[in-house]
Amino acid sequence: MRAIGITVLLLSLLIASGVQAQANPVEVARAVQERLFDAQVALLRGDTAAAESAVTDARSLYAAGFEGTFTGNLRDIERRITAAFDRALAGTQAGDGVQLAAARGMIWTSLLDGSSRMVAAAVESNDASAAALWLPLRDFRVSTRFSRPGADATLAVKALQEGKMLPAAALEAVRADLLDTYQAQLTASLAAADEAHSNGFATRQAEETALAAGYFEILAPAYEQQRGAAALTDVRAAFAALAAVPGNRYEIARSQVDKRLAGFRAAPLSSDELARRAGQLSRFIALVPVEYARGVRGGVVTNDIEIQEALTFYEGAYAAFADVQPALADRDPQAAGRIAELLPQVVAQIRGVVEPGVLQGTVDEISGLLSGIIPPEWRSSTGSDIDVILSLLDQLEAAVAQHEYTLAESSRLDAYALLELGMEQRLRGFAPDLAARIESLFWEGTRENPGLASLLATRAPQETVSASMMALRAAFDDARLLLDSGRTAPGAVVGNAAVIVFREGLEAVLILASLLASLRTAEERRYRRPLVAGAVLALGATAVSWWLANNLLAALLPLGERLEAIVSLVAIGVLLLITNWFFHKVYWTGWMANFHARKRRLIGGVAVITLGQTTGLVLLGFTSIYREGFETVLFLQSLVLEAGSSVVLQGVALGLFGTAIVGLITFALQVRLPYKKMLIVTGVLIGVVLLTMVGNTVHIMQAVGWLPITPIPGVYFPHWMGQWFGTFATWQGIILQAVAGTFVIGSYFLAEHQSKRQRRQRVRPAAAGM
Amino acid sequence: MKRMLLILVLMLTLAAPVMAQPSADLSAIKIYLLETLAVLQEESGRLRAAAQAYYDLANEAGFDYETLWANRRAETTETLLKAKDAWMAASPLYEQVEGIVAGVPVLSEFDVILDAGASGADDPENGVPFDLNLPDGRVLERPGNLFGVLESTLWGTRADYSSGIWGDLNRNGGQDFGELLPDANVLLSAADSMNRYTTDLAAAANEWTPTVEDAFTALVVMVPTMSEYFGSWRDSRFVSGEASTQVDFVVISRLADIEDILGGLQVIYDNVSPLVEGVDAAQHAQIQQGLTGLREYVADLYSREQAGYRFTPEEADLFGSEAQERAQAITGQIAQIAALLNVSLPE
Repeated sequence: MRAIGITVLLLSLLIASGVQAQANPVEVARAVQERLFDAQVALLRGDTAAAESAVTDARSLYAAGFEGTFTGNLRDIERRITAAFDRALAGTQAGDGVQLAAARGMIWTSLLDGSSRMVAAAVESNDASAAALWLPLRDFRVSTRFSRPGADATLAVKALQEGKMLPAAALEAVRADLLDTYQAQLTASLAAADEAHSNGFATRQAEETALAAGYFEILAPAYEQQRGAAALTDVRAAFAALAAVPGNRYEIARSQVDKRLAGFRAAPLSSDELARRAGQLSRFIALVPVEYARGVRGGVVTNDIEIQEALTFYEGAYAAFADVQPALADRDPQAAGRIAELLPQVVAQIRGVVEPGVLQGTVDEISGLLSGIIPPEWRSSTGSDIDVILSLLDQLEAAVAQHEYTLAESSRLDAYALLELGMEQRLRGFAPDLAARIESLFWEGTRENPGLASLLATRAPQETVSASMMALRAAFDDARLLLDSGRTAPGAVVGNAAVIVFREGLEAVLILASLLASLRTAEERRYRRPLVAGAVLALGATAVSWWLANNLLAALLPLGERLEAIVSLVAIGVLLLITNWFFHKVYWTGWMANFHARKRRLIGGVAVITLGQTTGLVLLGFTSIYREGFETVLFLQSLVLEAGSSVVLQGVALGLFGTAIVGLITFALQVRLPYKKMLIVTGVLIGVVLLTMVGNTVHIMQAVGWLPITPIPGVYFPHWMGQWFGTFATWQGIILQAVAGTFVIGSYFLAEHQSKRQRRQRVRPAAAGM
Repeated sequence: MKRMLLILVLMLTLAAPVMAQPSADLSAIKIYLLETLAVLQEESGRLRAAAQAYYDLANEAGFDYETLWANRRAETTETLLKAKDAWMAASPLYEQVEGIVAGVPVLSEFDVILDAGASGADDPENGVPFDLNLPDGRVLERPGNLFGVLESTLWGTRADYSSGIWGDLNRNGGQDFGELLPDANVLLSAADSMNRYTTDLAAAANEWTPTVEDAFTALVVMVPTMSEYFGSWRDSRFVSGEASTQVDFVVISRLADIEDILGGLQVIYDNVSPLVEGVDAAQHAQIQQGLTGLREYVADLYSREQAGYRFTPEEADLFGSEAQERAQAITGQIAQIAALLNVSLPE
């Protein structure tokens, strides 16, 4: 059965190569690996012939699938894979499973290296399709019960495909994800090699050391950049020695590799991740002396669990410091160096059972250094707040499991204090119902989920505490999602975009219909063509404007949420103009009259159409339509930043579809639609879009700290109101939405008032004349 | 009127796609879970009844197991074989739903209690949360998961859960594996807890409404656990023979458990597969093929073991490592699709 599968795959690859189609790299690579595994199994059975046949199959699959792929600056990949296949075949013929296993590890990691470089090159040259084809040929971080494989590279390539990310930014994300993954894989392979060595499994040890060396090769450019060419040569030699040494010298060779990898981090952390780790470092280290002081009295440990907690927080702080150390050292090498000296002292002091004041002094010095070295933008990180709170809640659960209710209560209070000091204010602003739920779960709770304070006070069994903990963790997951994203629902974005495009399209159709309809006579009909040509040109110009605006935004993307806030303000300005203009019938009729006056000037009393007239009519058609197009483009940029081009374009397509139907009915079927009513309906919808946009803009300005957050006491809005209408229970949001609403309604009444006054003014002279 | 209708149609044309949100019908997952748990409850009830009968016999003998075996050999044999039979039936049933129970956050605590949790001594932070209060007043503090406690009690792999008295259950005249008479207090308390937690699990499952997040989380959490299962298979008596010191997973090969777990995970994947296919048909084909291939791979090993082949620990390690690699590749792909669907996977 498997032989048939291999034959089918080979045939399809050969056909694909014959027609110059691109074989799927991940499928070919996995088929190669599986066939090499078949060879390993055959060797275990002592069936050398079957093993040799499987290796030959694997080589044929590789040749058919990747022929001519690894050329140019990827030639080293081809060389490594060829050498590994030679080694696999030689090993198989000699019945040497160790050689075959090592070769298999080399082939796989070389393929991964080749794929990583193909992806990077494709992203750099903005070839998202090629990047998407090669990216699946990769490893993933091991998923555990506590962590999930990342998808940053996949999302970055998708964003590149959709034009939501520049190649440089996408490349950074892809590199960070892949380097992080392969560094984790390197560590995992070394650990697996250690385990295989301790069990005496030579074959597995050989494969894992080969994998480790191969993963390192993927990271090698980063290593060379950080530590220089000589260090790279040195570490490569250490890996080669590890793969070559007999069992009894394994530990020595292994320690040489560890020594050279110490402190090496291939993937630079993103600024968000740096902020999160820096936050963890500050908060974890501050908790160490708090826990320690509760567990020590008079130089004697009085509570082991408190000491264990202090050590757990220390480990968390130490791990976070390891991640941010290079960034901190860039800012202030002396301070970072001093922290690196002080951290080991902390653990030594804990183990030495020093007086709590001594440990507090050391930690105070670290905290002081950190406050001087950590930049302000890293200090408020919701992610790190939640990480530390969850870690404290883990301690609480462990304490309950050991019936240490007093200890559990102190963990609860620590966690609650952190919530109060950090993220609660933001949460109250943006999701008061969620904030209330979390608060309740920390204290009295509800009938379904009793709060932790009540449960601990009544020494409830662990199952009951765990159920409430589960609810609390779920609430924090929601909070993380909400505060990290706070995005508008895609459906709302599509709807808003569609309304705007339809509304502006409707205006354009009306203007054009009005102008064309006024050219009724056979003579005048010849003026229609340049007018329509101008309108078509305006559509093209609108598309160009969209492209330019998108590129400009992409260039400004590093501004992040601040850019979104600025563009949202511009969009609100545009919307206010649209609604104001719309309601002012005076304006509308004046605007239309202006077009007609221009038209009359252009065609008045001339029997033969001149070049000047043609140009003038083209310009008239162009300006009458382009104004609507330009407004639309400006407004839509805010939505692009919020939800990406693909979502917005769905709305644009819907809006255009609606406009096309109206256009068809108007121009082709010559049916007169109830335009006034349609304008009123779309005008009301635009009013709703305006209110949503104002709410979202206030929300984003609060998120970047440009506006304060003042919750409205006792008022709770469901989450969907924020997602669909930008309505959050803060005074700032509600007041500004009310102001916008008042503006729209006031504008309507003002327009009505002006209209009546004009009518009265027109009536008076007539009456006077009677 | 017609014009107003036309306007309405135009507006609805614009609004309809706006309301569409990605979703999947996951009710089949819940039906599968509830149906399997219903049978599991019956088996755990049978186990509880047998444990009670054995306890009553031991009680009548004043918990003198030599006297018990001397005077009530036939009844003792019958009750213990019934208890073992019920355990043998219950364990695979649980494995068939373990992928769902362990992978869904609101149910996962039951997995720790029933099948996965270590003892408090081995894992103070994440071990089982319950104590066993024995009828004679003793308390086994956080003893480990209930299937494990019952297995080691019924088959005598833990001296402290055993009476220390041999009973020739198979009547061959020898002292064979699994023939130490259990401590009736431990057996009854563990069987009672098992029955209670199984009932609680069924109730919690009944309350549970499967979400797309639950389904993806279960897949991403459970598919890549191959190395754990293969590790315990490698160290079990099925591979290591008498050299094994493992006190649980001694009766049913872990390979059978893995096959059952993967079966449950396939049920979950089948239910979310329309969503996956909608995002990337090629990835869907690879994931589906990967899961099927992985299950066939394990089934092949199990059938070889059933046919009498004894794998060496090194072979078991190699096969386990290959299974883990394949599982990680599948998991990675599923996680990418979840991200593209904007499905959050809680950590």
